[in-house]
Amino acid sequence: MTDLANLSLTEAAAAIRTRKASALEVLEACLVQLDAQEAAINAVIWIDREYAAEAARAADIALARGDGTGPLHGLPLAHKDMYYQAGRLSSCGSTIRQDFRPTYTATVIERLCAAGAYAFAGLNMAEFAQNGTGHNAHYGDCRNPWSLDHITGGSSSGSGAAVAARYTYAALGSDTGGSIRLPAAANGVSGIKPTQTRVSRYGVMPLAFSADNVGPLARTARDCARMLTAIAGHDPRDPTSAAMPVPDYEAGLNGDLRGLRVGVPTNYFTEGCDGPVLLAFSEAVKALQARGAQLVSITVPYMDAIAAYVSVISRAEAGTIHAQWMRERPQDYAAHINSRLFASLAVPATYYLEAQSRRGPILKAFCADMFTLVDVIVSPTIRCCLPTLAATNADSGQTDAVEKAMGISINTRPFNYLGLPTASINCGFDPSGLPIGLQIAGRPFGEAKVLKVADAYQHETDWHTKIPKMAKA
Amino acid sequence: MASDDFTSKTVEMIADWHGVAPPNDVALHMVSDLVKIIGQFEALRGSLRFEDEPSTFEAALVQAASIGVRE
Repeated sequence: MTDLANLSLTEAAAAIRTRKASALEVLEACLVQLDAQEAAINAVIWIDREYAAEAARAADIALARGDGTGPLHGLPLAHKDMYYQAGRLSSCGSTIRQDFRPTYTATVIERLCAAGAYAFAGLNMAEFAQNGTGHNAHYGDCRNPWSLDHITGGSSSGSGAAVAARYTYAALGSDTGGSIRLPAAANGVSGIKPTQTRVSRYGVMPLAFSADNVGPLARTARDCARMLTAIAGHDPRDPTSAAMPVPDYEAGLNGDLRGLRVGVPTNYFTEGCDGPVLLAFSEAVKALQARGAQLVSITVPYMDAIAAYVSVISRAEAGTIHAQWMRERPQDYAAHINSRLFASLAVPATYYLEAQSRRGPILKAFCADMFTLVDVIVSPTIRCCLPTLAATNADSGQTDAVEKAMGISINTRPFNYLGLPTASINCGFDPSGLPIGLQIAGRPFGEAKVLKVADAYQHETDWHTKIPKMAKA
Repeated sequence: MASDDFTSKTVEMIADWHGVAPPNDVALHMVSDLVKIIGQFEALRGSLRFEDEPSTFEAALVQAASIGVRE
């Protein structure tokens, strides 16, 4: 059998279910990868090996007596360190919460456990999820398994790196401006930000209430589908979560895109893209066409308004959440965080309310303009080839580093304002051997179609099967 | 880039309204950068025509979910 750690999540689940591998063997395979690479990658903030071994043994015992029927039975998962688990550390990537141990557990963690998985580690992340590069001044920068000098993308930096480096089969990230899709793209893995309200945020550290989303990063679109099926759906403890029914997201994954219309933007998303990114995107579009998709050129509307409004909402809400700590202990934040939070306190309420009050009308107008023409919209996830950690270190004092860091999320942020489900999958590598992401967005609650397109692309190509050299060793 | 006057007035306003002092020089740069947001909002004035709606964004998502759906 292939190295167990290199299986996809659905393959590993099948191996355990059919007893080709025990849950304990699967865990050990992941820990071998972690132990071999972690000193270089720095994707983990805490790990609970004893609990993991107990959970794996319990999964094997349950299976032996016929109880292991969950779709994620026996799988070791690790998550961005901002998902509360009663009694366990949840540092949120910060000094301020370095000893924070919540007394309750996030709904999404409970749902993954109910599906048979267990969480064995908390993963590195941008401080309070507040940058798109993955820099962290307190726990050290997470490093990209494809090239240690380059960014992992953020803010779910450890989630992307840990999935790529084969520490775990899937990891929860969170996405307020691109924080699932950026590390998915940068680490060559798959990730989906669901529709706003699709997944409960109870027990999840808030960054900006209006735009925060919970979602998975994993090896394949099918893996993401399984994870999303497990965590989506209304939660009485999160009254903002949608009551819309949750389909089985794996059910429609058949590789067939005949009759499906794929929108290819002629504006905004490809402006200023680096050549290798444009080339990979162009090839990706052809691959979708080869699966039967009809390509439609589109002009994406309202982008100026969306770019202005999304920035104001996330700034004002983050500023509000952090105002008290900014009064009491501003020195405990990294400079690029506390400086941005400080400026956020000057955003006028009228600007914030303008941005909020137009969100629904713009969404409906956007959908009427776009989703009567196409079923999904594709674009590069990140416009540039991945920069180095040094070039985007906003704490370095170089102003161009701040600009470069902010530019990383220019293609992802609009879909947070619109609340649309949006995935990122690997669509190739740049000349330096770093991954390039393909972004796929759909109509509200259209995750099934987004995943169908992502999965079909992975039927047509093998980019998602590539493994970083250091994980192969 | 904003004028020094804009930056100093904004810093003063943040102190008055929130009781927070600039944590470092980078914060002053970030404050001066707010003029970009002002510019973005200025450029939008009068360009969008939407009726005010008694609706939440959550409701808008549900409404928009069926737009263009083909079965």
